[in-house]
Amino acid sequence: MASRTEARPQLIALDGTRHADLRKAARDLRERLASHKIKSGVSWWDASGVFFEVGLGKKKHRAASPRTLLLLYAADLAFRLRWEIRPALASGQTVIAAPYLDTALAFGEACRLPRDWMASLFAFAPAPDARYVTRERGRASGWKANGREGFAEFVSTVVAGVAPSFDPSDARRRMIEHLETTARRQKSRTIT
Amino acid sequence: MTATPARTSQTRVARKRLDALLREREADRGLLIAFEGPDGSGKTTQRKLFTRWLESQGHRVVTTKWASSPLVKPLLKVRKQARALSPEEFCLLQAADLRYRLEQEILPALWSGATVVADRYLFTSLARDAARGLDLDWMLHAYSPLFWPDLVLNFTVSLDTSTSRVASKHTPKYYDAGQDVTNLDDPIVSYRAFETRVMREYENLSLIFRFVAVDGERPIYEQHKRIRQLFQEGRRAAWGEWNVEALAEWMEWTGIHEADHGE
Repeated sequence: MASRTEARPQLIALDGTRHADLRKAARDLRERLASHKIKSGVSWWDASGVFFEVGLGKKKHRAASPRTLLLLYAADLAFRLRWEIRPALASGQTVIAAPYLDTALAFGEACRLPRDWMASLFAFAPAPDARYVTRERGRASGWKANGREGFAEFVSTVVAGVAPSFDPSDARRRMIEHLETTARRQKSRTIT
Repeated sequence: MTATPARTSQTRVARKRLDALLREREADRGLLIAFEGPDGSGKTTQRKLFTRWLESQGHRVVTTKWASSPLVKPLLKVRKQARALSPEEFCLLQAADLRYRLEQEILPALWSGATVVADRYLFTSLARDAARGLDLDWMLHAYSPLFWPDLVLNFTVSLDTSTSRVASKHTPKYYDAGQDVTNLDDPIVSYRAFETRVMREYENLSLIFRFVAVDGERPIYEQHKRIRQLFQEGRRAAWGEWNVEALAEWMEWTGIHEADHGE
């Protein structure tokens, strides 16, 4: 009989709006997998450093729209798939992608970007084997995190600096709604 | 996927307001002229001549160059030097660059009545990335909503002319020579192999998108006169239906919608 360690490695999507929650959830997930003797690793957003470099640039040059930011996220995800996710899966390791697609789609949805455009943009990314979403804390308080910490925080901070009509707290509320709706439809598990 | 009723109704109202704004602005808007073609086809020389001539005629001119946005240019530069770009990443970063320049440079300039001259536009990426094996349909989606130029000048030259002009200035760089996909060590040999594919893609795009051909092998002044003539004969048309989505999104995010409505 095959042992648990010989099971097919899985791509686990872990999505949520707050990076601090994603970090904690990813750690908990890894511990759970390890208790079943499953080797795993985490692929974080911005492994390519695209957003880090954008953050280093002058503030006036950071005037990117939601669509531009999603194109950058797609470029970063293509990098993660090429250098982290696919090689790790090929070597037999389970990968937790934190975040994966749903956080980006929730951001696009909150900014009213066309769904068919987003679906086509991310068509290169394989569907995950399992999906988790974080339990969203501090809904009423909106964003308090450092703008550079996570994808949703970073892009909301950038867009708020460009678009007079953009309310980051309202955007987060809409992102959470989208994540929860998607989670119900896809039977994702919630992790605290 | 279907839009929600609220979203549809919101869109309908916004669209009516937008159509009215575009009609008001139509007579004063600037024109977007794109200079396209393979390396060494003489685009930049002609672009500079044309820009100077336009200015001498009293036009306000804004020039925009490929992959030049302050947001994406540094990202591309580092990744090109490290030879770390896959065709998908390259295409997506260029799409981000064009979107940024559209929203920050091109559309504001056109809206204010300036003529925008683009030294390479969307078609450069489409031709090169299709030559790298990417699917044209996926690329067009990544670049959408597309913003169509009023005139696309496609400079055509033979492969030999392109190679000799490029090689006389410098050795083609890794990605310009297409070494990421040809796997050839010699940059010139790789350039010829890659550029053959790029030229074929330009020909296909030219048929689909109706570029105006300029023979890049003709004398420089002859080409320049033809470009002036094409520009002068070009009929000022309304902003195309296909450009409205890009304009609407830009106006929504910059708040122009509201500002102009309130005037």
